[in-house]
Amino acid sequence: MKVLTRKYTDLDRAIDEVQSLSETWPVARLNGSLDAEMIHCTSLVLHEWIANLHQHAEFRGASPTLEVRLSVQDYNVHCSVVDNSEGFDLNAHISSKDEELETLPERGMGLRIIETCTDDLSYTQTDDGLHCFEFIIPADHDPWLNTLF
Amino acid sequence: MSFKVETAPRETVIIHVGEALDFRNADEFKETFQEHIDKGIRQFILDFSDTEVLDSTGLGSIFSLYRAISPDDGKVAFADVSEPVQVVVQLTRTYKVFRQFPSVEAAEEAFAG
Repeated sequence: MKVLTRKYTDLDRAIDEVQSLSETWPVARLNGSLDAEMIHCTSLVLHEWIANLHQHAEFRGASPTLEVRLSVQDYNVHCSVVDNSEGFDLNAHISSKDEELETLPERGMGLRIIETCTDDLSYTQTDDGLHCFEFIIPADHDPWLNTLF
Repeated sequence: MSFKVETAPRETVIIHVGEALDFRNADEFKETFQEHIDKGIRQFILDFSDTEVLDSTGLGSIFSLYRAISPDDGKVAFADVSEPVQVVVQLTRTYKVFRQFPSVEAAEEAFAG
């Protein structure tokens, strides 16, 4: 299993680069490995996650560091993003998002989009004090949100 | 990056979204459309032909535009929607709110009719 690994110290650059996975991820370029929608979903989830870190994460005065790892197993995309922020309780945030969202909301859709596109979502502390966001984009998924209108 | 804007017949404005509408330029997008709302414009065509990124904050700013003009029967149309934007449109079922057209010209014709 080939794993694509990218390290970043600039969150803006990380956001810009995850948009071009279809060009920069060799597996994605192989015909039939992944369909375009899965690649766009992967880019979207990574964008939303890193944007969330960019806007809200506390890095305790340190420069942000990110390590993004991507692989394909049984046609599903497996991804992890390790960061050096203080972290937060993802499950608590997702639970709070279950509360009724206003119609056509201006904010608060990012975690919903992430949750809708993914399986096996987690954000946990690693043994060395970093935080690891992990998710799977399943091949047989047809995600949609029905809570915005 | 500023948004390229064109005026069209029947008090319509075309906003060329460009490469990205995300949390980094959503406020600028809102300033752009608000300037035209203040001048009385109520019909907007968003050209997504070059757009690689539409994130939740960018979509939220489009919802703000819609909320601002819908009380006056305003319209927002999506034109020439790129593949990455189409994924967001399908995921959020935004097509239920915003009509989509294959080109800016097709959207203009629909508004003119």
